[in-house]
Amino acid sequence: MKQLSRAAVLWQLAAFFATLAPHLSWLPFWLIALAIITPGIRLMIYSGRWPLPHWSVKLVLVLAVIGGLLLTFTRETGMAATVSLLIAGLALKMIEIYHRRDALVLLYVSLFVSGTAFLFHQSILMALYALFNLVLIIAALNSIYQDPLRNDWLRPLKRSLRLLGFALPLMLVLFIVFPRIGPLWSVPMNQNAARSGLSDQMAPGDISRLTRSNDLAFRATFDGAVPPPQQRYWRSMVYGNYDGRTWSRVSRGDQFRLADVELISDATPLAYEVVFEASNNPWLVALDQPSAAPAGSFLTKGNAPLRYRPVDRRISYQSSALLDYRLQPDLTDFDREIYLQLPEGSDPRSRELAERWRQESGTDDAAIVRRAFELFNAEFTYTLTPPQLSGDRVDAFLFDSRQGFCGHFAGALTFLLRSAGIPARVVAGYQGGEWNEREAYLTVRQYDAHAWVEYWQQDEGWIRVDPTAAVAPERVSQQADQLFADDPAFLADTPMARLQFGNAWMLDIRRQIDALNFSWNRWVLNYQGQQMQLLKDLLGEVNLTRLALLFIVPFVLVMALVAWIQLGGRRRPRDPLERALERLLDGFAKRGYRRESRESIQAFSKRMASDFPSMAGELRALANCDEAVRYAARPDGRKALLAAIKACYRALKTIKAPA
Amino acid sequence: MADSLLRGVEEASRSLEKVLLGKQQQIRLALTCLLSQGHLLIEDLPGMGKTTLAHGLARVLGLEDQRVQFTSDMLPADIIGVSVFEPSSGEFRFHAGPVFCQLLLADEINRTTPKTQSALLEAMEEGQVTADGHSYRLPKPFFVIATQNPVTQFGTFPLPESQLDRFLMRISLGYPAPEVERQLLLGGDTRSMLDSLPRSLTPNDLLDIQQHCSQVHASSSVIDYLQRLIQFTRDSELFSYGVSPRGGLALLRSARTWAWLDGRTHLVPEDIQQVLEPVIGHRIRPAEEIGSHAGKRLVNELLAQVDVLG
Repeated sequence: MKQLSRAAVLWQLAAFFATLAPHLSWLPFWLIALAIITPGIRLMIYSGRWPLPHWSVKLVLVLAVIGGLLLTFTRETGMAATVSLLIAGLALKMIEIYHRRDALVLLYVSLFVSGTAFLFHQSILMALYALFNLVLIIAALNSIYQDPLRNDWLRPLKRSLRLLGFALPLMLVLFIVFPRIGPLWSVPMNQNAARSGLSDQMAPGDISRLTRSNDLAFRATFDGAVPPPQQRYWRSMVYGNYDGRTWSRVSRGDQFRLADVELISDATPLAYEVVFEASNNPWLVALDQPSAAPAGSFLTKGNAPLRYRPVDRRISYQSSALLDYRLQPDLTDFDREIYLQLPEGSDPRSRELAERWRQESGTDDAAIVRRAFELFNAEFTYTLTPPQLSGDRVDAFLFDSRQGFCGHFAGALTFLLRSAGIPARVVAGYQGGEWNEREAYLTVRQYDAHAWVEYWQQDEGWIRVDPTAAVAPERVSQQADQLFADDPAFLADTPMARLQFGNAWMLDIRRQIDALNFSWNRWVLNYQGQQMQLLKDLLGEVNLTRLALLFIVPFVLVMALVAWIQLGGRRRPRDPLERALERLLDGFAKRGYRRESRESIQAFSKRMASDFPSMAGELRALANCDEAVRYAARPDGRKALLAAIKACYRALKTIKAPA
Repeated sequence: MADSLLRGVEEASRSLEKVLLGKQQQIRLALTCLLSQGHLLIEDLPGMGKTTLAHGLARVLGLEDQRVQFTSDMLPADIIGVSVFEPSSGEFRFHAGPVFCQLLLADEINRTTPKTQSALLEAMEEGQVTADGHSYRLPKPFFVIATQNPVTQFGTFPLPESQLDRFLMRISLGYPAPEVERQLLLGGDTRSMLDSLPRSLTPNDLLDIQQHCSQVHASSSVIDYLQRLIQFTRDSELFSYGVSPRGGLALLRSARTWAWLDGRTHLVPEDIQQVLEPVIGHRIRPAEEIGSHAGKRLVNELLAQVDVLG
């Protein structure tokens, strides 16, 4: 049993708080309070002001914490509860640290908890922070082996940095070689379920709510040229069903059926890769029109990609798009009925308007679309804060409020077209995105969410029309952030993000950080995709022997380096004078004349002068110069001393060492 | 000025060597001790020349000396002095004891009782004595050279550590070498030779010399070495306790004087090594009893283990 030094105790506290910090954003309040109080108690105990707690106190605390966790995480059994339990354990351990082994438990568990931070954040900053945290924990581990009397603060930190420096090559090798094993078990992470992305139904105001968030939706890189903003329609979901309030997908059943949809095109497919953020929903995005489903997903009847499982973590997938196409030129009667469906008897004024247009236009469906666009263009306002609608919502929008966001326009247009007997549907997804010229990728955020309309023509198939473009063409040609910059509702939930848009250089910095994070996600987090390829490039043929060698060789090299430094490598003095002097003394030692501890250079020189009379002069000069520099405070004599040492060494070399 | 003082000291040293044959090193240490303003303890068997050295020192340094032979029935008043009632004036008058001198030779200090010992030691520390409620200043400079028989002898009161610490140095003279002894046997009467020793210095010279010695430069390399030595006595398991800060200061002071006597204005490690045993020999104690001359063996161990160059 060893007492812990003061430095060790404070290093432990530092490591503990650093481990705690990344979890502060989601931990229950009472647990944070506990984690702040127990280190205080620890300090009181260490300074001897309070005694170690009695076992009954500890038992009560443990029961209270378990109860608190059960109450806080009643319905969730996920990672958050598990990590909370670990952190609570750490906090409680704080108050009973007495032996070295208690501190060891604390720090080992801290190492584990610092790893769990990656469950909640995966940015490059988090990776850097984890590294910093690792330095602190290793320093704390170091400090508990420090002699309590030698209360040195910086030594543990220096040692920690050195150890991690040694470990760095191994870390890299492990990163490259170690196989990425899929999760052995899967734990639901029910955090931001309510926050991000589109949902499978849309009330007219829903999409405007998304503009309050600047969360990343996905990023995309293209094999060819990036399509112009007017072509960047990312479809995610198709709503064919209207119940008078909300638009929803045709039937839940269609997501389990592979769509059998005809897509005809002469264009070359545009290949692209999407890095899609976790959304906890199964729908993906695909650029209009996807020619094939990305791996792990299928295309629904509306030709939108749907994944077999919800996206519970960031994924990347490849897909390709046809920008010029004919989709489903023939519609079965069954489908036709679906896309003409309207709730019984609702919105009479809108139906009346549509029927009037039908009578005036005859069979020209495009003319009806034009009429609708003219209507929107003439009298409607595009706004992020539309008034609440009730009753016959389409009527209320078309004839009373006349203010709306993309969802209102898309819903109303589909309603009008269906009333006029044209099959139509609402498509939801994202439009636009921010093109990063430097790194050549497109960033699409939640505020880029959009809804538009497709109507069907015999032989033409589904035709995309965007009523929002009629009212606010800049919504399609510009980026959302530029368009809404003056609207107070835009990014209302993330004021900091809103602030950034005011400032050009802030925007630039944001873009650069974004670019960095993107590369990080693509190259580091999704590394397993490239692992085999990289190993092949590195090793030629991948087999067990080569893999083992790749692992063992750096390991042995690092270990040899550590061993050499720890055992064999005597540290050379940095001062050139001391180095030269050491060389000279080594020279004497080789000839059997070793300086004794009690001998100063003067005494040693005198002794050597009697044994090597031939170099008595050099030795006398050496003694005098050394005395002048070392004891008589004449630092200007350093040069002379160096010369004297070298002269002595030269003289010594003429004398043969004994065999 | 400094040169003439140094010549005076060398002359004194040569004179002493004539009456104390073959004891060059001890004479120089004794001079170093007194020039460092410290008290000297000479420990040896009777008849080794302790008293001769003390007398000689008083003579060549031009100091007014007194000698007290300590016995077991001695009282403090026998050293300090006593107040006597004088009927003629009707008052008490203080009759100063032998301590009122510039150099007191306290012969066989461990023969007397602790009470008397401590009366003397107060005088050494404070430079004054107290009798009947009055304080009397002692002359300046004031030195004590105490001699003692090795404590293994019968009927002695060994000085406790706290009082040993008051002496800057403890030296012993040792038997003379055979050829020196032969010279001694053939030579003349030391007593008359002592009286004929010339005065080489004055008390004022002593104060000047002390001034010069305190200005000897101690470089950080030397201080490092000194600290390593002291630290070793505190850390090593060979010692039951280490050298006190006062011991460290005493070491530095003595080494400076030694350096000055060598004609240098800066310290070198050898200065420290030369005075190390006399200065700390009586301030340290081995962790386990390793026989007589433990101090010398410990100091040798210390010198062998602590590297001069660090």
